[in-house]
Amino acid sequence: MRALETLPGLRVVATPEALDAASWAEEPLVLRFAPDDAFAMRTSQIALVDLADEHAIVEPETGFVGAWMTSDELAERVLPHVEWPLPAARPALAQGLIAGVPAKLWLEDDRALLLCVAAYAHELSERLG
Amino acid sequence: MVVDGRPMAYQAGDTVAVAVLRAGEHPHHGGTICLAGDCGNCVAQVDGVGWVRTCQTPCRPGLVMQRHPASGAPPLPVAGQSDVTSSPPARHIPVLRREAEVVVIGAGESGTAAAEAARREGKSVTVLEARDGLEAVAIYAGRTVIVRAPDGMLHINAGEVIVATGAAEIQPVCPGNALRGLVTARAAQQLHAAGVDLGVAVAIGTAPESAPCAPLSGRLVRIESEDEARVSAVVTVEDEEGERTTACDTVILGLGRAARDVLSRMTDEPSVSVVGPAAESFPLPPAPTAGTVCPCSRVQVDDLSSVWERGFLELELIKRATLAGTGTCQGSACLPHLRAFIAARSTEIPEPFTARPASRQITLGEAAAGVHFDAFRRTVLHDEHLALGARMDRFGGWWRPWHYGDHVAEYWAVREGVSLGDVSTLGKLIVSGPDAVEFLERLYPVTVADIRVGRSRYALLLNEGGHLMDDGMIVREAESRFVLTFTSAGAGHAEMWVRDWIDSWGLRVHVLDRTMSLAAINVTGPLAGRLLERVGLTAQPRFLQHVHAEVAGVPCHVMRLSFTGEASFELHHPVDRSAELWRALMAHGRDLGIAPHGLQALQGLRLEKGHVIVGMDSDLDSTPRRLGMEWAVKMGKPDFVGRSALARTAEIADHRRLVGLTMPGPAPTEGSPIWSEGEVVGQVSSSFTSPVLGQAVMLGWLKRSPFPERVEVDGRSASVVQPPFYDPEGTRARA
Repeated sequence: MRALETLPGLRVVATPEALDAASWAEEPLVLRFAPDDAFAMRTSQIALVDLADEHAIVEPETGFVGAWMTSDELAERVLPHVEWPLPAARPALAQGLIAGVPAKLWLEDDRALLLCVAAYAHELSERLG
Repeated sequence: MVVDGRPMAYQAGDTVAVAVLRAGEHPHHGGTICLAGDCGNCVAQVDGVGWVRTCQTPCRPGLVMQRHPASGAPPLPVAGQSDVTSSPPARHIPVLRREAEVVVIGAGESGTAAAEAARREGKSVTVLEARDGLEAVAIYAGRTVIVRAPDGMLHINAGEVIVATGAAEIQPVCPGNALRGLVTARAAQQLHAAGVDLGVAVAIGTAPESAPCAPLSGRLVRIESEDEARVSAVVTVEDEEGERTTACDTVILGLGRAARDVLSRMTDEPSVSVVGPAAESFPLPPAPTAGTVCPCSRVQVDDLSSVWERGFLELELIKRATLAGTGTCQGSACLPHLRAFIAARSTEIPEPFTARPASRQITLGEAAAGVHFDAFRRTVLHDEHLALGARMDRFGGWWRPWHYGDHVAEYWAVREGVSLGDVSTLGKLIVSGPDAVEFLERLYPVTVADIRVGRSRYALLLNEGGHLMDDGMIVREAESRFVLTFTSAGAGHAEMWVRDWIDSWGLRVHVLDRTMSLAAINVTGPLAGRLLERVGLTAQPRFLQHVHAEVAGVPCHVMRLSFTGEASFELHHPVDRSAELWRALMAHGRDLGIAPHGLQALQGLRLEKGHVIVGMDSDLDSTPRRLGMEWAVKMGKPDFVGRSALARTAEIADHRRLVGLTMPGPAPTEGSPIWSEGEVVGQVSSSFTSPVLGQAVMLGWLKRSPFPERVEVDGRSASVVQPPFYDPEGTRARA
């Protein structure tokens, strides 16, 4: 299991419409945790997002850790600990317990990102071995 | 193999039960042997594991079988586990998870036919057969089939499940049915085929086809024994004839069959079906009149009669009242007799009772396979605490430092110097939106609109019943943006509570939970301000104010409040900068005598101030009045969650009150009963031997009014007082 490392980014909570239409100065990887909640990786600059929601909450986010892995590594190390069906589409975000730990998977065609909050990093690492 | 400490030979192909019977013994202490795994009459301890069905356990060199005690259960294996804060080691039992279109349980005639039919429909089929080492033990809702496999457990999520587990033989219920020397007809055939000498054998009911025996006509009355251990004769009776006694060594019982449908009775989902004999409705045996009806739970027919006479007239009630059917065979042996017992006394034949996992004996390890311990969170300062010698323990879903070796020294660091506390675990929610004020006014029992930007206010979180759920601070960052804090244990529920009400009221409020994203360090003590000045916080907020500022180069949201009773500054900051900030504070405070404090010291510090800990000092029905916290409720507000309940109950006399207690000497154990005039009138919820006050201070519940002024705790006289016990004016916190 690769070490889980901090995934710095930007956390944005806004109306779903504003998030859908958000423009980013860079090209971050944006994970939509919920219709009104996005985590934009590879950026931590609040000024880099333009939102049509004056009450949006935009905060630097360093609370997530994660590790990229190949599809084979995912199948071998992680999926045996997933008790719920994964989405068939790619890319896709999947969220649930992995080995009993709240975690998320960002699934691309040939690789995946496993991420969880830093407070659970030790539990997830130990359980995935 | 070794049986009860003695070597015992076996033959190729023997199960443990067959080998023991071959030696002229019984694997348990008596009872009918079925050799089909249906009953609990052959269970024993095998290689240290109790309740193993020896008829399903192949012999192997070195196998150790220990008979269970004649009465009672075998002793539980106990592992030394002195440190309850660590997870016990466990033998790893792997879980394989599979998806299957169709699962067929049983590879007999009906199972094979069902599997072939499903395959003809183009479905993929998984067949589970216990004799092949794949023993289905449970079907859970959603058609998850739990299987014991040779190398672990198999959890199969099936689209369709077909139960084809056949039928079990009916066991006899009569006086003497717990003796040795009783076998079912199919077991007799197996034993004969294995070359086991049954001696002089007689058969009652349908005789086995191959095993030599003398068939007896008539109805089984009782089984007799000369030595109260093994069968010596069987007594039968025919219509209008007297009893007939037949001497024998073995009684073979062909008493009919009953559907082996326990798995199908675990669920009523339409996609779980039963086929073959497992689906048949076999005739019930005659109603039992005497003898052991449930060998697993040792329930006698007299026990059934007793509860029947007391009004337990339904199968499920009789099961609960007698425990018949709750043993290791889950009713396989006794269910037909229980139904017959009721049918003979009523007008209906009761349906079989619901079955629950597991249908076969499995170990706790097998049951728990794939199940994880609760995941406990660590703050990013976990390693810092360990390096400082902290003893960590689990609180509110987090690993937290209980103490760093000397909680009294930690206490004095707070009271007289400066100390750090890791409060990263506190719940932290940002709410923002045009309706944020409206929302918070409806949610909290305090007024919110008049909290100025840059200020904060303590608030209770009540449910609709006016009962305390949580507490924390309302921190105003802007006209329409707030930070809400919650207790460590209550944060998760509080977030759901907040989101639910926003949705219910249809308000325009955004929510972001920052609990996991922001760490927090509480810098507390009379020298806290001086320390923070050294690390760059020169413009310090006053009590209940807050500012955003850099502290030791780390961006912080600094909140001035106090749980310890001393000047306190909570520094909320990004988790990835927390260790850096902690180390800087420790380094700059060295000459000030800085020391971190753990929860043990903190619980004493806050208790001296009379601050409650939700869940420790409060119950599920604790109202502000009972807690003595009506000052934190503004009933003049038009509405808030819990207001109407508080208004309705305001005039009703209440007989419960959380009070302060003091007495000389050491603090009593938390939970100690509170006595008054020889009666228990409450209990202590928190206690602490106060170093600064030199006496025991407590919070405790009095549950009888009028509330006494003096009580007894731990055999000593204690005074009922109004907290806080320390610095009642609050001047130190505001300093």
